[in-house]
Amino acid sequence: MSDLSKKDLEHLSSLARIRLEDKEEEKLLSNMKNILDYVGTLKEADTKDIEPMNGGTLQKNVLREDDQRQETLARQGKEGFPTKHGDFLEVPKVLNN
Amino acid sequence: MEPLHNLTVKKIHEGLQNKAFSATEITREYLTHIKNKDAKIGAFLKVDEEGAIKQAENIDAKIAAGENINPLSGVPTAIKDAILVEGLPSTSASKMLENYTASYDATVIKKLKEQGVIILGKTNMDEFAMGASNENSAFKPVHNPHDLSRVPGGSSGGSAAAVASNMVPFALGSDTGGSIRQPAGLTGVVGFKPTYGAVSRFGLMAMASSLDQIGPFAKTVEDATLVFDAIKGADPMDATSVNTTYSPNLLNPSFEKIKELTVGIPKEYFIDGTEEDVRKGVEKAIEKIKSLKINIKEISLPSTRYALPCYYIIMPAEVSSNLARYDGIRYATPNRNMGEAENLLDLYLNNRGAGFGTEPKRRIILGTYVLSSGYYDAYYGQAQKVRALIKKDFDEAFSSGVDVMLTPVSPTKAFKIGEKADDPIQMYLSDIFTVTANLAGVPALSLPVEKPTAGNLPVGFQLIGRHFREEDVLGLGMYYERICE
Repeated sequence: MSDLSKKDLEHLSSLARIRLEDKEEEKLLSNMKNILDYVGTLKEADTKDIEPMNGGTLQKNVLREDDQRQETLARQGKEGFPTKHGDFLEVPKVLNN
Repeated sequence: MEPLHNLTVKKIHEGLQNKAFSATEITREYLTHIKNKDAKIGAFLKVDEEGAIKQAENIDAKIAAGENINPLSGVPTAIKDAILVEGLPSTSASKMLENYTASYDATVIKKLKEQGVIILGKTNMDEFAMGASNENSAFKPVHNPHDLSRVPGGSSGGSAAAVASNMVPFALGSDTGGSIRQPAGLTGVVGFKPTYGAVSRFGLMAMASSLDQIGPFAKTVEDATLVFDAIKGADPMDATSVNTTYSPNLLNPSFEKIKELTVGIPKEYFIDGTEEDVRKGVEKAIEKIKSLKINIKEISLPSTRYALPCYYIIMPAEVSSNLARYDGIRYATPNRNMGEAENLLDLYLNNRGAGFGTEPKRRIILGTYVLSSGYYDAYYGQAQKVRALIKKDFDEAFSSGVDVMLTPVSPTKAFKIGEKADDPIQMYLSDIFTVTANLAGVPALSLPVEKPTAGNLPVGFQLIGRHFREEDVLGLGMYYERICE
């Protein structure tokens, strides 16, 4: 059985920037333990000398020469933002007094 | 006009060309049907009546002017809510995006609009495409048209149910671990996940970027192929999309050539825990294919048993980083002003806590765990290696002369709403036969064993092919359909 503790879960949820209600936390802890036991079976797989697959394909990355491109969706991005001051996007205050 | 349940994309195209009906007439017919039927099914989150009629009138003007029309011109469709359609809400069925309206078109939408497709609306889904039953929608569940007390599958359950209940002739969904194929199987329609990279993901809300693909739901394999043909192709906005040239056989398969294919039956997909009806259905499909004198051989994909655990590490890991963009401020999140929050961190914690449903929270936190220092190698690193093993299994089977694999789509038929809602692992097992195609990046088609009959729940089977050889799976699927007629 996974030894994930309530304290671990609280740490993880704060890293993930998700506030959990107490009741939610209890249920999630028991679900997570079951899921971790299930995915833990992967440890049995023999992966000696196997190169990890880092993406959807094993194709290699290719580089190209830098060139100038005009395409951007900045305008649409701005239009989609709910509160604005002219060309500026309005967000809550970030710095504390 | 023919009744809607008889209409396919192909027949609508013929009808428009012969002037048997206009695009406006057919659009109105579908809109009326949605109005009458969807209250009980819940397939749509948004119906854009006005926009649809306007698009249809444009097509009718083209037809009246004697212009040639494309195979998809004037054909109504519905789009999974995770795919952006400019000017329409795109919520991914999450409270987090309740007020968000898309400000641009996804590449697949741009392509469909160029073809003259009529977009009737956005379809319901599991929140952020996480689920196998459509019960995780933050707004309402979707009901299976064959039995309203049962789920349609997920996560693209709305798109599947919309096609199965004749509210559209085709729809788009997205498939990360089975989210097109499993609901197609449970609702008795055709669902296709293309090769990873065959279709641009630009404008699809990312769930797990190394696994996600957009694909069609349709009533026939032929229709699904027409839609795939329209949306495929490289896109500068998606660096993982690939430019591949497909042979004309994609749209017009030579059945003589199809007969020469070798079909592999991987023994690991015929396991305990699969429902009797599913087993019998898939055996029936195998017998039918055998009767065509197509070569069938039993094969082994030994790493299959690790596929689902592997998926449930890689997918949440990618989810945890992809969903970081929903910070509780952008995308018009409700309560995005400070309110009771004392600082910015509080605002993030509050809004993400309130905006995400149970399943996204579970997966984000699980992903955070498997990527965290001290656990990374044991979980994420190991899963990436196992993923390579799973792909190797496929590569070896294909290089040993197998062209297409035939398997079940999911271990059960449509289950009751609520039946698995409290047991995540039981729910995850719904994808046990579909996740492998995403992990390996290969194309896979789900199609009904036979036309669903009243009172019986549909059973589907799956055809999996080589990378970028969609013509093999779609061609065999079309051949199968022909012999079933």
